[in-house]
Amino acid sequence: MFAITPNILASFMNSLSRYVILLSLILISVSIFLIIFLENDYYQGISFKIMFIHVPTAWLSLAIFLIMGISSIVGLIFKSPTAFTVARSLSPIGLIMSIIVLVTGSIWGNLTWGAYWVWDARLTSMLILAFIYLGHILLLYSFEHFQKADFAASVLAIIGLVNLPIVKFSVDWWTTLHQESSVLRIGGPSMTYDYLITLLVSFFGIFMLTIFWFSNIFYIIVEKRKIERSKLLND
Amino acid sequence: MRIIKLNNQIKKRFIFLLIIFACFSASIFLISYSLKDQIAYFVEPTDLKSMDGIENKYLRVGGLVKTNSLKFLDGNWVFEVVDQNQNSVNVVFSKALPNLVEENKGIIVEGKFIDNIFVAEIVLAKHDENYMPQSAIDKLKEEGKWRGN
Repeated sequence: MFAITPNILASFMNSLSRYVILLSLILISVSIFLIIFLENDYYQGISFKIMFIHVPTAWLSLAIFLIMGISSIVGLIFKSPTAFTVARSLSPIGLIMSIIVLVTGSIWGNLTWGAYWVWDARLTSMLILAFIYLGHILLLYSFEHFQKADFAASVLAIIGLVNLPIVKFSVDWWTTLHQESSVLRIGGPSMTYDYLITLLVSFFGIFMLTIFWFSNIFYIIVEKRKIERSKLLND
Repeated sequence: MRIIKLNNQIKKRFIFLLIIFACFSASIFLISYSLKDQIAYFVEPTDLKSMDGIENKYLRVGGLVKTNSLKFLDGNWVFEVVDQNQNSVNVVFSKALPNLVEENKGIIVEGKFIDNIFVAEIVLAKHDENYMPQSAIDKLKEEGKWRGN
């Protein structure tokens, strides 16, 4: 944060990105293979297989927001450009992830519950999370100077952190139509090991893809700023 | 000298952020605590006993479909929604049920009480967080460890 400048982080991640994307492609192909040949759920049938996209993206949309919030705190306290740039490059990924969660969730909901959308605590708080991501991106691009934008967007990210435990624990605190957590819960996972392994493979595949995507966005932002700075110097 | 000054600034910013975050999360906590009953998506049949004026009030009731209660009579689905305390509600529903509605499985009914019978307008199937292939269930049944229907 102090010694790590955006340039150093960008070139470090750039050197790793080819291995990350390779690993991600391998894991995602393995998980697709596993998902196709996995036995259906005894109750939900084939429709439960959408879980292997829905759950990893849901975890990631929460985790990305957590990292965004922490790096916003670090950025505001230590005035660290690296932390601000991390938060700036994470929010579009988080928005896409939460949109995937909402879309796959509503498809799954229609197949099992019999409704695309209901206003229960889990679904509503997840929608709010997507809106906070959207607000974060809009704030970032509505200022002329990126320092001002980083400041405003960081405040939103820190306030938005309050929503994270609400999304995670909404199914435990209130009665909801959405089922409770199957993996990250007290008493261990409530699914058989073949499902759990497939879920974890799929999660790490999408996770690696996220890291690759993040390093690309980060690199582009850093390079753009370099170009802008050299333009300013030439004028 | 400069380092000491910077540390003070960092401390100030840290405390400022902490106060903002604490105030905001406290307010969210208070709001959600006082709206607890509104945030709950459904009530259980047991909760209905302590509620007043439930006749003609639009409600959502959730629980399990009672075993051997799901019937199709005169173009209506008739069943009982039961909870863990064995309190139940008689439900009538005139449209098509979602695919996953089965006896001894989760359900949420939305509608009104008319003459002590719950006339549902919307029925949603509520599945739980357990996922298992049929083969695993057969294995459990062989070992006598299966505790479902």
